[in-house]
Amino acid sequence: MMTLLYKEIRLAIHPTSIVFAFLGCLVLVPAYPYSVIFMFGCLAPYITFLNARETNDAWYTAILPVTKRESVLAKCLLIVSVQIFQLLFSVPFALLRNAFNIENNPVGLDATLAWYGFGLIVYSVFDLVFFPSFYKNGYKAGKAFISASIPMAVLMVGLESVAQIPGFAWLDSCKPKDLMMQLPVFFVGIICYLTFLSLAYRISVKYFDRVDL
Amino acid sequence: MENTLCVQSLCKRYRGFSLENVSFVLAPKRIMGLIGKNGAGKSTTLKSILNMVSIDSGSVKIFQKDFCRYEKECKQHIGVVFGGIDFYPLKKLSAITAVTRKFYTDWDQEQYRKYIKYFNLDEGKKFKELSNGMKVKYQLALALSHHAGLLILDEPTSGLDPVSREELLHIFRQIVKNENCSILFSTHITSDLDKCADTITYIHNGRVLKSADKETFLLSFEYLKTPEDTGALTLEEIMLRTERREWYDDAVV
Repeated sequence: MMTLLYKEIRLAIHPTSIVFAFLGCLVLVPAYPYSVIFMFGCLAPYITFLNARETNDAWYTAILPVTKRESVLAKCLLIVSVQIFQLLFSVPFALLRNAFNIENNPVGLDATLAWYGFGLIVYSVFDLVFFPSFYKNGYKAGKAFISASIPMAVLMVGLESVAQIPGFAWLDSCKPKDLMMQLPVFFVGIICYLTFLSLAYRISVKYFDRVDL
Repeated sequence: MENTLCVQSLCKRYRGFSLENVSFVLAPKRIMGLIGKNGAGKSTTLKSILNMVSIDSGSVKIFQKDFCRYEKECKQHIGVVFGGIDFYPLKKLSAITAVTRKFYTDWDQEQYRKYIKYFNLDEGKKFKELSNGMKVKYQLALALSHHAGLLILDEPTSGLDPVSREELLHIFRQIVKNENCSILFSTHITSDLDKCADTITYIHNGRVLKSADKETFLLSFEYLKTPEDTGALTLEEIMLRTERREWYDDAVV
């Protein structure tokens, strides 16, 4: 599994995707729609798949002692690594923001536990649409991105709007009491990410098995 | 002696083209040439062997093992070269090698160094900076460094100048002589096979027209000879006359 990931990182990933992975630090910006960070995490698979297509990555992988199933697994591992790294990388910046007592983000949701939970939900839904859509044919990355962008955009608008609704103000707060209330949202995010990703992987494998390179 | 490769009744149907019952065997330490005009099904056959296209029926055995069932194990012992395809053009050869070697349990770094030196390759170069001949040589170096017992080469000499082609053919002969290796080699440049193939498989419209050792193959096409022909027909003449007959048959229809 690590060999597959090593191959993806050294040969297949587009450098821009690595830059996107570090954009978790944007939670330090005082006024910014933080859901855009998730959009960067969704652009990373699109750019990487596009790059992989142009560099004949699927062909090269096919001649290595690797099955088609593992070829899909390699890409899933890479994208999960980028997305999770991005969220983990943002954590110290979110803490720093609190340490500096920077005012509540006036644009949208703050980097609260709920924000992380919503982020995982955005990623789960995007990946669930993107991966199977791409592996249906193995080359239409643009079409897969457009299909997956629609639910991604709806969710992004939804989560930014939450901060503006007074009844949901607790989702936008970093007070210990509110953070405790946000815990279920965070766990739902984790469960969604695990189940949707595993579903996306299974469907993609099924589709890619039928694709002729 | 057990066959290195055994392809049996391979069928793959596309819209407008189908591979029908393709069968042939390749013995150890032999070079087999897979010939046929463009679009005859040579590359589809090779990709079907490698499970790159999903076949409708048939079976492939490599080193007596069912390829579909033991794909990873079989791939440990085969090397593949696709002529005309650029892999990771912006990556340095050293980066591609660093990744590739991790996948092979039998990777032999000394052997790799030997071939890199022998082929005069510069690992600091990017893949796209190599000439077509050098690209094939690099892929060969990778294949030979994990002691592949079977090399599958898809049009390795296409687009090369006569000198590079001659050099590659010499290398193929050396590989079969010095390593315990067989080569399956698709091409439409039949003169290449006159020089190095032991066996010929001719694919015509998705079917195997004939698969035999070179002498038997040439004899089986004696019927194409005209009174003007004094010597044996070359592979090119056999191919041209076979394909031409079809044009005339089509014209009559």
